Amino acid sequence: MKTLARWFPALVVVFVVAFLVSIGASALKPVARVDGVSLDGIARIPVSAGGRTKPLDSFARNTLLRLSGRQTYDADGTMRPAIEWLLELWTNPDEAAKRRVFRIDHPDVKSLLAITEASRTRFSWTEIAPKLEEVVRQSQLANAISRKQQDPFQRAISDLYGKLAEFVEVQSLRTPYLAAPLANGEEWAPLLAADPHGQPATGASAQAIRAVLVAYAAGDAAACEQAVSAYHALLAVAHAEAEERSALEVFLSRCEPFYQASLLYLVAFLLGCIAMLVAPLSAERWKPSLLRSALGVIALAFVLHTLGLTARIYLQGRPPVTNLYSSAVFIGWACIPGALLGEWFARIGVLSLAASLIGFATLVVAHNLSASGDTMEMMQAVLDSNFWLATHVVVVTIGYSATFLAGFIAIFYVVGGVCTKLLRGEAMKALPRMIYGVICFAALASFVGTVLGGIWADQSWGRFWGWDPKENGAALIVLWNLLILHARWGGMVRDRGVAMLAIGGNIVTAWSWFGTNMLGVGLHSYGFMDSAVFALLGFCIVQLALLCVALVPTTRWRSLAATP
Amino acid sequence: MNSMPAALRAISSLRLAVVLFALSIVLILAGTLAQTQEGVWMVVDRYFRSIAVLIPFQLFVPEKVLRIPGVFPFPGGLTLGVCLFVNLLAAHIVRFKLSWKRMGMIVTHAGVLLLLVGEFVTGALAKEGTMTIAEGASANYIEDGRTSELAVIDASDPADDLVVVVPARLLADRESPLITNGLLPFTVRVIEWMPNSRVLGPMQASKQQLARATAGTGTQVAAVAVGVATGVEASDSDVPAAYLEFKQGETTLGTYLVTPRLIGMQTVEVGTKRFQIALRFERNYRPYSVQLLDFKHDRFVGTETARNFSSLVRLTDTAQHVDREVLISMNNPLRYAGETFYQASFAPDDSGTVLQVVRNPGWLLPYLSCTLVTIGLLWHFGVRLSASVKRKVA
Repeated sequence: MKTLARWFPALVVVFVVAFLVSIGASALKPVARVDGVSLDGIARIPVSAGGRTKPLDSFARNTLLRLSGRQTYDADGTMRPAIEWLLELWTNPDEAAKRRVFRIDHPDVKSLLAITEASRTRFSWTEIAPKLEEVVRQSQLANAISRKQQDPFQRAISDLYGKLAEFVEVQSLRTPYLAAPLANGEEWAPLLAADPHGQPATGASAQAIRAVLVAYAAGDAAACEQAVSAYHALLAVAHAEAEERSALEVFLSRCEPFYQASLLYLVAFLLGCIAMLVAPLSAERWKPSLLRSALGVIALAFVLHTLGLTARIYLQGRPPVTNLYSSAVFIGWACIPGALLGEWFARIGVLSLAASLIGFATLVVAHNLSASGDTMEMMQAVLDSNFWLATHVVVVTIGYSATFLAGFIAIFYVVGGVCTKLLRGEAMKALPRMIYGVICFAALASFVGTVLGGIWADQSWGRFWGWDPKENGAALIVLWNLLILHARWGGMVRDRGVAMLAIGGNIVTAWSWFGTNMLGVGLHSYGFMDSAVFALLGFCIVQLALLCVALVPTTRWRSLAATP
Repeated sequence: MNSMPAALRAISSLRLAVVLFALSIVLILAGTLAQTQEGVWMVVDRYFRSIAVLIPFQLFVPEKVLRIPGVFPFPGGLTLGVCLFVNLLAAHIVRFKLSWKRMGMIVTHAGVLLLLVGEFVTGALAKEGTMTIAEGASANYIEDGRTSELAVIDASDPADDLVVVVPARLLADRESPLITNGLLPFTVRVIEWMPNSRVLGPMQASKQQLARATAGTGTQVAAVAVGVATGVEASDSDVPAAYLEFKQGETTLGTYLVTPRLIGMQTVEVGTKRFQIALRFERNYRPYSVQLLDFKHDRFVGTETARNFSSLVRLTDTAQHVDREVLISMNNPLRYAGETFYQASFAPDDSGTVLQVVRNPGWLLPYLSCTLVTIGLLWHFGVRLSASVKRKVA
């Protein structure tokens, strides 16, 4: 047992590394249709959609995600990749029309379509087609009023109409822009012109793509392979960089580094919890061993997290935070080094728990935010400034991260302190110091980040501060951190008070991060934001409950009572 | 120290600072929530630049969940800002001693004071407006999209136009819907005033809607009132409209629809005299003029998302001997004569540009403030950190 405890961390790390290597290897494994026609080369073909050049694979994934809520589809009982669905849509439309790719949840919409199966949520074009006219009529009725005034049915029907329209748009080859420009003065073009009377594209790349689709339709593996290689050879000259990025993006989509990282954070969190639980039971040696394992797993998750972020920065050519999705990825990422640094100093384990929980939670949030499609969408002109994205957005997001980190450490301080004896002695003193330190940093980062945002606004439209919801959200975080610091300096709060205020900071930060985005769409918004309202509410209620726990008199805190 | 009056101790106390922070947090939260119902400028004036504000309880609870009538009084942004300013200043006078260790906090607080002053100066002195120029045309005035005016022009004198301007607040005043002016041979009766409106084209409007106006463009298009643009939607600003009846004595000269969305003037005839009328955004004339030479609007391939837009303009100011071409684009404004011209938007069909024109004498203060606070905080926390590291080593 003694030796096992000693070597356990190394074992865990080796196991996780092996797991990651196997993921990477399987992402590199060739993917083919059942009849052997390879999908790899086609997946890597760069196309232009939503203003961004991306691999056809990403286009297929994003489209299918928007239609059906996932990136694979059910092909007669087996789950197949999105790219196969897209190619089937283009080469075998009759079969593709039977694929159940339209997600419909609203019961009234289902009954409108005369669908009686209550439990199924995905439907095919063939099932919807007989009622198409009614869907169009209903959505026209619904779209006569603004989104905010629509009731859930109207939103659902309007969403369904949007999905059907997108489906038709893609099927008819108007989207994406498949044909790459090869000569100067050419632009990306769809195979079929957007205007019904327009001429189909005839250039060399359009011809090459048609050859690919024809070979694919015929199921001729060799011919398809040859046609795909021919097109890639054509692109290698004019689009060398796009080809490279395309290959990386396909690899990235298959590996899902953020998903794997979230799993690892979860594993680390569980290891940390077990370490805390076994501490009083077993001999002293298992706790440090498990904690070291957790730390190792977090470190590996962080490496993966970092690789994913770096790849995104390379693919987009932009600083890490460009939208809500990437802010979630970044907030988690930025918390980890802070927590690990603290852990390295203090060695109390609680910080690993906080780090892994934040890493896991933020990646789950990010995953839910990615449902709207492309997470690397192009930016509105006014935001198109790498300098300000790199300074204001990154600094202010680090400020959010630090406020969350302080709040999460405070949670473990309160829960661990009140309910357990694990934090006896030094830990009960070290944690508040750490919370305080992180809040100092949070105040600095959020203040500087917010003011930098003001300066960006002044540069862009001459208004340093406009009191709009997003700005106010940032100001609230700054003020909250300042309030904590001044209350502590003035002796109004001590360790417990600072911890409680830091937990309150979780509410303030969550509200500023998401709440301000929800105001515009009203309480009955749609899609993710609909459930997000409840998620946010739930999060706030949990924080309030934790505050109540903290109100237990310090004499009853088990960790404090146990102090000699 | 003991001889310090209790009052001075109170106003310089950290306790007061914390209370003020808490009040500011509540105010900002309320002011943000209020933007779900009102436009951002309304909220800024009522909440953030006021002495006191009445906050409805309903703001904090969705109406669908629970209906709560009533309001509670709360200090406004001006009050809180002044209190924070005084508190901070007093703290430095009373408590802070000049020392290297304290230097960081002193610099930081100086920056914060500057920030408060900056926002005050902006609130009091900054002016914002827009300049809408069609391609090829030029403009020598700035429009204030938040206030409009009814302009009546008597162009009968070939040498000089006589312009009578009626501010919109008189039109909006329900108490006195009759407007008279000694220079005008007619009175104006306000039939309906719409703070924000939508124009319905000839195919969209119903017969009844078109029948509301008896003369002018209003017989072909109609306007309907829509809710004011709220802060959270952050879309377009409000565009007012009005149905006005022009009367000479008891005889009606016709009912007109006026709104800034209608381009060009309409004509009211009184006997042989012709008056031109228009509801337009308030204009402030400038000694210089800006001509739009070329407007570019690039979109991302296959989308309507703007990638960049820019205006090539010719700036002319005869008195100052200025006549030059300037390219104004996103994040690249033109600064001239104390005003800054930003590329803000564009006219439909890319036929012209909309420049945001801002005069803010205090624009430099936030830059200074940010620098001071950053240096101060880094200093302060740096001193603290090195002290605690030293303690740990020792």
